[in-house]
Amino acid sequence: MSFVESEERIALRKAVSEFGAKYGHDYFIAKARAGEKTTELWEEAGKLGYLGVAVPEEYGGGGGGIGDLAAVCEELAAAGCPLLLMVVSPAICATVIARFGTEEQKSKWLPGFADGTLKMAFAITEPDAGSNSHKLRTNVRRDGDDWVLKGTKTYISGIDEVDAVLVVAIQQTGPVLVVVPTSAEGFTWHQIGMDLVAPEKQFTLFFDDVRLPSDAVVGSPDQGLLQVFAGLNPERIMGASMATGSARLAVSKAVTYAQQRTVWGSPIGSHQGLAHPLAKIHIEIELARLMTQKAAALYDSGRDKEAGEAANMAKYAAGEAIAAAVDQAIQTYGGNGLTAEFGLASMLGMSRMARIAPVSREMVLNFVAQNSLKLPRSY
Amino acid sequence: MNIVVLVKQVPDTWSERKLTDADHTLDRESADAVLDEINERAVEEALQLQEAHGGEVTVIAMGPDRATDAIRKALSMGADKAIHVSDEALHGSDVLATAKVLAKAIGTVENVDLVIAGNEATDGRAGAVPAILAELLGLPQVTQLRKVTVEGTTIKGERETDEGVAFLEASLPAVVSVTEKINEPRYPSFKGIMAAKKKPVSTVTVADLGIDASEVGLSGAYTQVLEAAPKPPRSAGQRVEDGGDGGSKIAEFLVGQKLI
Ligand SMILES: Cc1cc2nc3c(=O)[nH]c(=O)nc-3n(C[C@H](O)[C@H](O)[C@H](O)COP(=O)(O)OP(=O)(O)OC[C@H]3O[C@@H](n4cnc5c(N)ncnc54)[C@H](O)[C@@H]3O)c2cc1C
Ligand SMILES: Cc1cc2nc3c(=O)[nH]c(=O)nc-3n(C[C@H](O)[C@H](O)[C@H](O)COP(=O)(O)OP(=O)(O)OC[C@H]3O[C@@H](n4cnc5c(N)ncnc54)[C@H](O)[C@@H]3O)c2cc1C
Repeated sequence: MSFVESEERIALRKAVSEFGAKYGHDYFIAKARAGEKTTELWEEAGKLGYLGVAVPEEYGGGGGGIGDLAAVCEELAAAGCPLLLMVVSPAICATVIARFGTEEQKSKWLPGFADGTLKMAFAITEPDAGSNSHKLRTNVRRDGDDWVLKGTKTYISGIDEVDAVLVVAIQQTGPVLVVVPTSAEGFTWHQIGMDLVAPEKQFTLFFDDVRLPSDAVVGSPDQGLLQVFAGLNPERIMGASMATGSARLAVSKAVTYAQQRTVWGSPIGSHQGLAHPLAKIHIEIELARLMTQKAAALYDSGRDKEAGEAANMAKYAAGEAIAAAVDQAIQTYGGNGLTAEFGLASMLGMSRMARIAPVSREMVLNFVAQNSLKLPRSY
Repeated sequence: MNIVVLVKQVPDTWSERKLTDADHTLDRESADAVLDEINERAVEEALQLQEAHGGEVTVIAMGPDRATDAIRKALSMGADKAIHVSDEALHGSDVLATAKVLAKAIGTVENVDLVIAGNEATDGRAGAVPAILAELLGLPQVTQLRKVTVEGTTIKGERETDEGVAFLEASLPAVVSVTEKINEPRYPSFKGIMAAKKKPVSTVTVADLGIDASEVGLSGAYTQVLEAAPKPPRSAGQRVEDGGDGGSKIAEFLVGQKLI
């Protein structure tokens, strides 16, 4: 057993961290405020193989695991560039297609995931089915060789910048995963106004009898549930990584400021009222990172079930860590913490997102209560 | 075209660099060690020349065990193989000894057409290794270049100085040194990182290179550091009051500093 990452993983972190620093937090905020995307960052990361680290080598990817992809996501976030679409496109969509897709589907989609030239959103949440996925209503039915999709999804990130969206829909035998190109006829969307400072936007999607070819459903239609679960672990691991990366950024900004700012003759970082909360949060971030790496290691060694528990715990811990980190960083900066110049207030919305998406803190606690502790369920 | 790139591991310029109290050599524990930035550019230049002209890129580093990290970085950028000269006896070596060892190490690589070094290391800052090396190897030296091209067996380079730009030429094989203006180094790709571990690195000692240990290291050095003091804290700087001529005063200051 080893508690240190491999030499290659550490080298990957360093490389991505230096690469991310070239863009940085100011770049990210400026793009978000201007309503623009971080296209050049995404493209360059794609060319360097950072977005395709987990895609199998035979399709042009790096042949690594979700642990490598999570390291990329975390380091970019720590450099000030949390890429929300990394959580869905290469992590959920590419993983599901690589694990369950037909040979044709893999050759069609995976090379684009490998170099980042293809982006795919992921849609499970519905207006009446967020935490409660048993109430999913979007349905897909056979019509001859075709599939016909009908329903509504909401809070779906990035529709305005992707080529296609992987939709969780219900058919007779249960859920299936359907690839819907954004150009499909009958597919429209509407942007949701969000008070988040992020280049990626959220949308409500409308599928009005969208007709899709027979290969639109990923793999075998009776394996849908398995596919959804296979995609959710990487999603949680990535969500946790993005959160711990951003939390590291917040703490490092706070620490730098606490060393420089003097109010009573010594740096404010010498006051335990500021030093202890930062130390505590640093510990919590490290614990969340450790659990995230454990979840990734379990997932990459094919232990889906144990990975599920670890991934949920990691997501929970990371969500708490980022909320506390941004909160304390702003406090450390005093009034400067709320200025546009220092960029901390811009992280506030994002710092709460990790408690809600992709699965809420309460639902993780439900999961742990029922599955790990075998307590009765209340709902 | 076979290229050797000389890469040095140095303390990160962003961290506080210190000398040890015992023998005034670099306190390697006090700072993060990185591949010298100028050497990243030297590697980049070698890779670009290789892309245009083929051949092999070998990196050579002289330094303690942990210099393998710097070597790995160069290999992950795309260099093909490496030679690591690592020997306790090298501790405290001066510029002459460093150049001597590097010359011998270059001698173990077959059919070298070009040696690329940085113009000066960010820690030692002697800026002398490339020139001494060229003398020892009996090769032409084209130093301090901001641009390098190879045409047939001729190497052409541009050297930028305060007085103007010099256009230089030499026949291959040759030694060149490059400045920070030469290029923007690439980031290692994921495939490059994964491949680096499998690339050959031969670790050699001073004896392997046929050098007597007494010729190198602190005892073999021609100069000696007798005393060292930490640099004084930054002074307050110069304040310019803007009485309408603030702009030209700033320009004057910058001209004085040779910044514009
Ligand atoms: C920025 C952002 C991006 C998103 N991107 C995507 C995306 O790309 N694709 C996608 O499919 N979805 C996306 N989502 C949706 C996200 O996954 C959901 O918001 C999340 O699953 C919670 O669902 P909900 O919003 O419907 O909350 P609800 O289910 O309405 O829950 C409301 C509150 O009730 C609590 N609650 C519910 N049930 C219980 C219970 N049994 N016990 C205790 N408490 C309970 C919840 O924890 C929560 O606090 C995104 C959301 C956000 C905010
Ligand atoms: C803390 C400290 C103490 C020192 N003490 C003494 C002393 O007591 N007496 C004394 O004479 N000198 C001393 N020196 C100088 C030291 O010996 C030189 O740093 C060294 O010999 C190489 O010179 P340079 O790094 O300045 O090289 P430069 O000439 O500035 O380097 C130019 C280029 O040469 C190549 N190169 C240089 N070194 C290497 C290497 N090791 N491996 C691979 N390529 C390399 C690189 O491409 C580099 O970019 C000391 C240096 C330091 C940092």
